[in-house]
Amino acid sequence: MLLKSMSLTNFRQFNGTQSVNFSVDPEKNVTVIMGENGSGKTTLAQAFTWCLYGDTDFDDQVVLNKVVAQNIGPNGEASVQVKIAMVHLGVDYIMTREQKYTTDSTGNLKRPNNTVFKIQYKNKDGQQDFVKESEVDLRMKEILPKELAKYFFFDGERIGNMSKEIRKGKSKEFADAVKSLLGLSAFTEALDHLGGKSSNTVIKSYEKDYSSKSDSKIAQLRDEIARYDSRLDQIEKRFAEIDNEEDIANEKAKEYEIKIAENRDSEKYAQERAKLKNKITSLEQSKVSSTAGVIDTFNRKGASWMATKMIHDALKELADADKIDTGIPDIHARTIQFLINRKKCLCGAPIEFGGPAYTELNKVLDYIPPKSIGTLIGQFVRECELKSKGAADAFDDISNKFSVVSEFDADYAELSNQIETIDKKLEGMLNVGELQKKYTFYNGEVKKLRLERNRLSEEKGAIETKRERCETSINELVLQDENNKRIARFKAYATYMYKYLFSVYKEKESEVREQLEKTVNSIFKEIYNGGFSLKLDEKYNVQIQVDDFDGYVGDVETSTAQSISVIFAFIAGVIKMARENNSDENSMLMTEAYPLVMDAPLSAFDKTRIKTVCEALPKVAEQVIIFIKDTDGEIAEENMGSKVGMRYLFDKKNEFETELIGR
Amino acid sequence: MFDKEYSFKGTHAEKVNKLTAKFDGKNQLFKRNLDVYMMAPIVGFLYQRKAEVNTGDGTQKPTKIFPQQLIDNGDDLAFTYRLIMLLDKKNSDSLDERIDKAFRQFNSAQAEDDEKLYEQYVLGGVDVLYEKLMESANGTEDYLKNLYDFMEEIDDRYNQTIDVDQISVLCRLAKK
Repeated sequence: MLLKSMSLTNFRQFNGTQSVNFSVDPEKNVTVIMGENGSGKTTLAQAFTWCLYGDTDFDDQVVLNKVVAQNIGPNGEASVQVKIAMVHLGVDYIMTREQKYTTDSTGNLKRPNNTVFKIQYKNKDGQQDFVKESEVDLRMKEILPKELAKYFFFDGERIGNMSKEIRKGKSKEFADAVKSLLGLSAFTEALDHLGGKSSNTVIKSYEKDYSSKSDSKIAQLRDEIARYDSRLDQIEKRFAEIDNEEDIANEKAKEYEIKIAENRDSEKYAQERAKLKNKITSLEQSKVSSTAGVIDTFNRKGASWMATKMIHDALKELADADKIDTGIPDIHARTIQFLINRKKCLCGAPIEFGGPAYTELNKVLDYIPPKSIGTLIGQFVRECELKSKGAADAFDDISNKFSVVSEFDADYAELSNQIETIDKKLEGMLNVGELQKKYTFYNGEVKKLRLERNRLSEEKGAIETKRERCETSINELVLQDENNKRIARFKAYATYMYKYLFSVYKEKESEVREQLEKTVNSIFKEIYNGGFSLKLDEKYNVQIQVDDFDGYVGDVETSTAQSISVIFAFIAGVIKMARENNSDENSMLMTEAYPLVMDAPLSAFDKTRIKTVCEALPKVAEQVIIFIKDTDGEIAEENMGSKVGMRYLFDKKNEFETELIGR
Repeated sequence: MFDKEYSFKGTHAEKVNKLTAKFDGKNQLFKRNLDVYMMAPIVGFLYQRKAEVNTGDGTQKPTKIFPQQLIDNGDDLAFTYRLIMLLDKKNSDSLDERIDKAFRQFNSAQAEDDEKLYEQYVLGGVDVLYEKLMESANGTEDYLKNLYDFMEEIDDRYNQTIDVDQISVLCRLAKK
């Protein structure tokens, strides 16, 4: 299938009729359509699915251009049309979908009419012909089933989900799509027809044909088989449920495991916080005791300490005044009193009352015992010494204690900061104990499910054995009846054919799968150059594996760029294989090459990877149509350069109008 | 002297009350009025600040020191009194006279004027203590800082100017 052109009429932002021709040149097979965000890239991508399948992902189901809708006026009409021209298996097709919108008397849009889908093709004579209306959907399904379409017309926003689906193989649809693309669907359909699950298969129909009237024993056995079958059915269904539940439980367990790892630090932080809080408490205590200490010292020793200078000066005065208490050796007040009373000095000079000698002698009384102040001064000097010694360390003591108090604020702030930081870290963290409980619970669920599966497997085996025995008995009994003998023969043919076809299919399928794995890997390595490879299992689950890494081989976490690379590689691989099958005429597998239409999320990649992606895609796909942001677009064009056959630009006039212009 | 009840009055009563009040709910800069009374004359003399007894605005109630407290600390109080008397050259520039005031006249009728002078230094010291410790304080943290700054100031102004080790030597000389 090759897309030749598309024209849009009044489709959402595209007012009037606008056309794009896609490059069909095998050498220049890339069409780049560039535009800023919101300019209509997604709309154009959606126009494909709307035209071919009649639906879109838009919330607003009205696809009519808003400006056109405004201008219809009362009781008027307008239509939306998307026309796609393509070549498929050598036939030219034009697909057209049209939808008519009418307005009521006030000019409001009525509910739109159903869309009309037409397929026009050029028949062998070169004449234009229309596919019958009743067959258009069927023909479209033959050309490209809707389920497959999403792998060729895909947008960046969905890529994350797709990557998940592919990696988990959750979507059977996906495996089916792959098989169908690779030409395996003919096989699977034939197999289903012969001996699938449905009750209308060839083999089962023969079983029903057995005439059991003649033999009640056969009927009994048939009933038994039916019972077994229904139980086997139940078991199979339960298996599917168990798979699903186990996946969920595993996923949950893993999720909690990761959370536990992420939150393991919370315990450490909590301990650290407790330590810091203790520090704060002791800091507060030392502030309290230091404050009390400062005040205590101040009260006990402050006065003496402040008096130090005075004590010093006083002592100096007293030391200088050494005459003070020298007095007269061994002279007592009584001696002087005696001399005064006898009015005559020792030397014989008279002592007159009030005379100079009298005054002098009275003065002497002050300096000799008992009126001497020597004792007092001596005591005072001792006190001076004691007080100055006792208070000597007062200031140092207070300084030390005060520094504790004054540094408190800074220390306290520092500790508080640390605690706050830890609090912030802890804020987003979860309780590891709770997480552990949940983890244990889901792990337990997984174990339970595994046990159940084992039990059911045993039961299944037992039932199958019983069933086989019934079959054998029936076969023996059947051969006694001529008619049944004939049916048994047919059934045997059908069964043989089924088995043969199945073995061929298995062989082909695993070949295809291996081939696909190789192809996908070679593309993946080209796009994503970094020690990883992809592995496809039987259910087409994709696993990313680390190459050449000692000690660990297994599924690894994927980054966005990796996820997208996986998708690219996968789809490109499928497309490439489909294309190669097509060129092999003798192949049992008949497929058609498909274009790759994508709303490319190149911004998820770095520049080197954009380059590799851009180089890889045009090589593997027959046709690449890519919608891209301006910035990405320049890089893409730079890298695809020679491969670009057509260029367009979205010219956004306003929210409701965009024009497509060629460049 | 120092054997009768003493009362701070007027503005000084208010200041002494504040100096002995709890500043952070727990701690007081001075534990008792007596502690203010013992430190104030030294501060008053060092800063050469004197003040008269006043009645304030009449609303302040006197705050007392009981006689027993004074008697119990009589030696320390007398020591301070003697220091001031010995050193106050404004009171008398004769050393002999100052020695008389300090020792001979202490607690005698002749000491009346000197006791007044002493009380002026007490009250001046209360003013200084209040200014230094209380006035500029805005929060509980400030009181302790003021206390430290005040001591640092005294250390700078006085204690750093002398050689403290000299005191023992001077003591020996003075005892001769």
